[in-house]
Amino acid sequence: MVVSEIDACNSFKVTFKPNSALSAVSKQKVVILLTVIPSVIGIAFCFLGAWLVLPFVGLEIVALAYAFYYVNRHEADYESISIDGDGLVVERCVGESVSRQVINPYWVTVVQHELANGELHLYLQSHGKELEIGRYLTRKQRELLAKQLKQRTGILNRN
Amino acid sequence: MSTTTAAHHDDHGHDSHAHPTGLMRWVKSTNHKDIGTMYLWFSFAMFMFAGALAMGIRAELFQPGLQFVQPEVFNQLTTLHGLIMIFGAIMPAFVGLANWQVPLMIGAPDMAFPRLNNMSFWLLIPAAILLMASFFVPGGAASGGWTMYPPLSVQGGMSVDMTIFAIHILGVSSIVGSINIITTIFNMRAPGMTLMKMPMFVWTWLITAYLLIAAMPVLAGAVTMLITDRHFGTTFFNAAGGGDPVLFQHVFWFFGHPEVYIMILPAFGILSTIIPTFARKPLFGYASMVYATAAIAVLSFVVWAHHMFTTGMPVAGQLFFMYSTMLISVPTGVKVFNWLATMWKGSMTFETPMLFSVAVVFLFTIGGLTGLVCAILPVDIQLQDTYYVVAHFHYVLFSGAAMSIMGGVYYWLPKWTGHMYDEKLGKWHFWTTTIAFNVTFFPMHFTGLAGMPRRIPDYSQQFAEFNMISSVGAFALGISQLLFLYVVIKCIRGGTKATNQVWEGAHGLEWTVASPAPFHTFETPPQVK
Repeated sequence: MVVSEIDACNSFKVTFKPNSALSAVSKQKVVILLTVIPSVIGIAFCFLGAWLVLPFVGLEIVALAYAFYYVNRHEADYESISIDGDGLVVERCVGESVSRQVINPYWVTVVQHELANGELHLYLQSHGKELEIGRYLTRKQRELLAKQLKQRTGILNRN
Repeated sequence: MSTTTAAHHDDHGHDSHAHPTGLMRWVKSTNHKDIGTMYLWFSFAMFMFAGALAMGIRAELFQPGLQFVQPEVFNQLTTLHGLIMIFGAIMPAFVGLANWQVPLMIGAPDMAFPRLNNMSFWLLIPAAILLMASFFVPGGAASGGWTMYPPLSVQGGMSVDMTIFAIHILGVSSIVGSINIITTIFNMRAPGMTLMKMPMFVWTWLITAYLLIAAMPVLAGAVTMLITDRHFGTTFFNAAGGGDPVLFQHVFWFFGHPEVYIMILPAFGILSTIIPTFARKPLFGYASMVYATAAIAVLSFVVWAHHMFTTGMPVAGQLFFMYSTMLISVPTGVKVFNWLATMWKGSMTFETPMLFSVAVVFLFTIGGLTGLVCAILPVDIQLQDTYYVVAHFHYVLFSGAAMSIMGGVYYWLPKWTGHMYDEKLGKWHFWTTTIAFNVTFFPMHFTGLAGMPRRIPDYSQQFAEFNMISSVGAFALGISQLLFLYVVIKCIRGGTKATNQVWEGAHGLEWTVASPAPFHTFETPPQVK
């Protein structure tokens, strides 16, 4: 998912976020919705004398809430690619960790690698190393990104 | 390339699409397709094992008198047949189908928690071993029925402990699997796939997973209270100590009736997928199908005591549970109507999956109607614990759940294997199964109405003919499942190459990937319009 795109005065910056079918607020609502009825059931059985149902309900609610919390840790993930002057910067945030790679745009090659199953993967190659980019994008968005990067980067892409 | 890295990152190279091979591919697999395959094979093995127990039951009941087994062994056969069919065969089969299909249908690369998915599967193995091994401990396997009512279950031997432990393990597996499915469906849908665009199979599984979340702790609590009554001096279910054995029935059936819908809602999802494909029409009343599924799930929590009409509950309670049970026929009727309306004036063809689906609609409706008969309080008091009830729930669970699983396997098998199955043999399997099923279970309505009680190894001479017919049908039903195994193995080994779409009328994301489905799919999210 492309969340922002800036392209002005020789500077270029795009930011992508992973597809998330549910926002953080919606996740909280879903967890509450999913846990209300089991809680009521557990408490009701407790009052009827079958109190050993309640600990199992509690364990399950903790597991469910943690699962959604864990999924939500990646809510803030992003990948940004920017070109400003002599630096092509690829910045990634995955979970709590942020990585930043700087490449000289003059020497970079944009490589499109198509797999047998029709998927298209994008790589930046430079000085014998390569870096996959655009993993959060659909195929069409990857093609567009490749085109835009080729226009703005190294001489090898212009051949 | 100058690099500054604040923390570890997970770049992949071109070779990230290689996948493991050999035995460890299966043992350590976190791939939803591999795990789905393992679930399906496991459930088939359990289906055959529990089916073999049923053959023992029917052999004994072939004629009056004791032929092959003693009464206590007969009770063990009926108990383990029920437990293994429910927890070992039907539920894992649906989880297997969910593992294969849910990520493919919503455009997700895998389940949300692949390692937990692996754990959910491998927990099944020790549970199955515990259940099967319980036949060999002193006193034999649990024999108080799959419902494990006290006081029998409190008084039983160590096999009851093994059964309870197995149920705890299966419960953990189910809850972990449910959490995985819920998080996957809520969070990993492809861009553009809103909730009301989800395939019905995904919807039914979402609601089923929620039912599991709500019902499983109740079962866990119930069997834990049994354990403490057995070994730690508590008296939850012992009247002598101030407890109440009927409390167990309430707690058990509060789990048990949603469990019935846990085993049938995914079947509804399969029917709602197959019927539009072979009628070549969109599903009639998609939104009403979703709401009907949700309504069934909600109502399933307020009908439990219809299993207990003869326990002496107040009349007001009996009436409440009678009417609430009857109310379930409304959303179920909506579903049956929608399937019929989907077929109405459709350009229908009857390949094996469609044959199974049409048969399920017809036979499940019979099971639903006999359920309504059992819901009528004064009638149920007569029919309680007779073979009429056995006929009813086999029409729901075999022709409803098991036959829809078979239909689903035939429907998706070409996508899984890349080959078309042998249509002629598939139809043979369908007809032998359907005819044998009806020969087995339809006469049970009559034996039940005539008053033959369930769970007895010997019976009065007046029931002999119908029991003989049922036994002949049961053996034919058992043998016809070997044909199913042969068709599946033949399809895996080879056959006509399947196209990506496989079926002319099929729609959905799963049909956009190659056949067989590649090891990794939808790593690039598809766009749903």
